[in-house]
Amino acid sequence: MEDQEILLKFQDPAARNVAFNQLVRKYQQKVYWHVRKMVVDHNDADDLTQDTFVKVWNHLGNFRQDASLYTWIYRIATNECLSFLQSKRRKFFLPLNDVGAELAAKIEADPLLAGHEIERKLQKAILRLPDKQRLVFNLKYYDDMTYEQMADVTGTSVGALKASYHHAVKKIEQYVTEESSAD
Amino acid sequence: MHMKTPFRLDDHPRRPQPPLASPPAGYFDQLPRQIMARVQPEATSESVTWGWLTNLSRPLRTALASAVVLGGFSTAFYLSQPTIQTPNLPPTTALATVPDAALIEYLAVNNQLETEDLASLPLPDDNLMAYFLQASPQELEAALGPPTLDEAYY
Repeated sequence: MEDQEILLKFQDPAARNVAFNQLVRKYQQKVYWHVRKMVVDHNDADDLTQDTFVKVWNHLGNFRQDASLYTWIYRIATNECLSFLQSKRRKFFLPLNDVGAELAAKIEADPLLAGHEIERKLQKAILRLPDKQRLVFNLKYYDDMTYEQMADVTGTSVGALKASYHHAVKKIEQYVTEESSAD
Repeated sequence: MHMKTPFRLDDHPRRPQPPLASPPAGYFDQLPRQIMARVQPEATSESVTWGWLTNLSRPLRTALASAVVLGGFSTAFYLSQPTIQTPNLPPTTALATVPDAALIEYLAVNNQLETEDLASLPLPDDNLMAYFLQASPQELEAALGPPTLDEAYY
């Protein structure tokens, strides 16, 4: 079902639940994996995905269609992730790097990465990036978003996003190179 | 010593998502139901119970909130007052209903009369006095003696 059709149905109180259910089914996997890449842990990703859709339900009536529904939902999910990571740091008085180290430890323990050393190093390098730079990297590298779409999601200018992605790639390449030569 | 082989991201096979463990089986079948369960109670209770509030204008909502707060204070004030029972019976009848034991106990505890108590008594009846004293005026004068200077003024 097209986004426009979902939005039209959502305005009708009798069809609202059906429309929302279709919206969830359409975007749940994208939202889940977007969140999962940021927080790594499945349970955290599950909570944040649900919270994202609850917020979508609460605010969909006010959604102005100057952005696409897809980027609007991504924006909510992104804010949820960044708030979660920030509150985690605040709660445990952790410096910036410690959450990255915690996430990296989860990557280390992931059985899917056993035997894939370069892939493991790449994932650890991504998790060492600051949250916002990691977000930019994920949106470009994995979700293959255009810079314009990314600007809608992050509320950042296209120029700043290009610079951020470029720096993220350089940092990742440097980390993986150094880790590989240390082995 | 190893030679540094520069890693280039573009040369690395690109994946649609990082190789993280998949969510539990059937997760995406259950997720919509869980989300609907979370939004449904909110939607129902909001629309049925408090939905009408959102339709009111902001000044009306403020006025309503003030009225509710004022009402709450008034009720609390009213309930905090001790209940005052206004007797419907005349004093003499009401006094007659008090048991003798309670009266005796009251008098035993409060046996000192104040000037105000005396002032509230009805004027003495001369006949009643004579009935109680059983004495002639001459006997009374002899018993009381001549009046003092202070008493002569009253």
